[in-house]
Amino acid sequence: MADVLGTFEQAVLLEVLRLGEDAYGRAILKAVQSRLERDVAAGAVHATLERLERKGLLSSRLGPGTPVRAGRARRYYRVQPPGIRALNDARRTVNNIWRGVRWPVMGARWTV
Amino acid sequence: MDRIKADSSNARPPQWAETLLRPLLTPKNRESISGDLLEEYRDTIVPTLGPAADRWYVRQVGSFLLRASWVWGAILGAALVIRYLFDTLVPPTDYKMRATVLTYTIMAACLLAGFSAAWRTRSMRAGVLTSLSAATMGALFSIVGTGLMLAVWHDPATLDAWRRSGGLDEAFIDVPLKLIALGVAIGAVGAVLGKGVARSLATEVKTGA
Repeated sequence: MADVLGTFEQAVLLEVLRLGEDAYGRAILKAVQSRLERDVAAGAVHATLERLERKGLLSSRLGPGTPVRAGRARRYYRVQPPGIRALNDARRTVNNIWRGVRWPVMGARWTV
Repeated sequence: MDRIKADSSNARPPQWAETLLRPLLTPKNRESISGDLLEEYRDTIVPTLGPAADRWYVRQVGSFLLRASWVWGAILGAALVIRYLFDTLVPPTDYKMRATVLTYTIMAACLLAGFSAAWRTRSMRAGVLTSLSAATMGALFSIVGTGLMLAVWHDPATLDAWRRSGGLDEAFIDVPLKLIALGVAIGAVGAVLGKGVARSLATEVKTGA
C-alpha cells in the first residue's frame, strides 16, 4: 500500500475538497483551523499544501489579486485523482484499524 | 463597524516582518502566501485583536522560519549534546579527534542549512536567515541539554571530565556563541552555493542543455 496520509494532510486535502472553487491559501487555513478546533500556523498549512502538490495529490493555479491583498495573486488548489485515492485509502485504513472496537473506547476489560 | 473595516483594510503589518517573510518563500509562492497573510491580517486579525495583530503576524513569519530551520537546529544541538555526553561518560584520550569530528559535523550542517534554503527560495537572505536560526536553536538545545546532563551527573569524577573537556564556561557560553557566529558565516557560503546551483540548473533547463 502507498504511504498513508497523516491526519493533518487528510484535514488539508478534505478542506480543499469541501471548499471547491474557493480553495485558496487563506480560506484553506481558516477551514483547517475551524475543523481541527485549534490555532494552526500558516507555515504548517502552506508546507503541507506544497508537499501534497509535489506528490501529485493537488494541483494549483494563480487567480487574480484583490485590493485587501495589495493586489497579490491568490493560489487556488484542486484535489487530483491520486489525492482522492489517497483519501479513500486513508479512510479504509482507519476503518480497518477500528473494526470491532466500539467508539468511544472505554478501556480494556481484563479476564484473569 | 464600517469605520473599523475601513481602518483595517489599510492596516500594514510590521515592515521588518514582511521583509523577513518574503525571502523565506519559494518564488512560486512568494506573492500568494504573503498575500494570504496580509488578507487575513487585514480582514480578521486587526478587527479582532487590534494592537496585538502585529504579534500574530510576527508569529506567522516565525512559523515559516522555524519550518525551514528546525531540522538543522536539532542536528547542531544533538551534535553538541552528544559531544558532552561522550566527554562525561566515555572521556576521550584524543580530544583532537573528537574536536575534528564535531567541527566538521557543525560546518556541514550550517553549510547545508544555508544551501538548502537558498536553493529552494533562490534567495541568499533566506540561506543566511535559516542558518542563523538553526545555529541559534542548536545553541539553545545544547545549553538546555548540557544543563540537564549536569543536573543528572555532577559527581567529582564527572566534573573533572568536564573541566578537561573545556569547562562549564565553554559549554554554556563559548561554544553556543561561536556556533551562532560560525552558523552565519558558513551558512552564507552555503547560501551562495545554493543560489548559484539553483540558477545554473534553471539556465540549463531554459536552454535545454
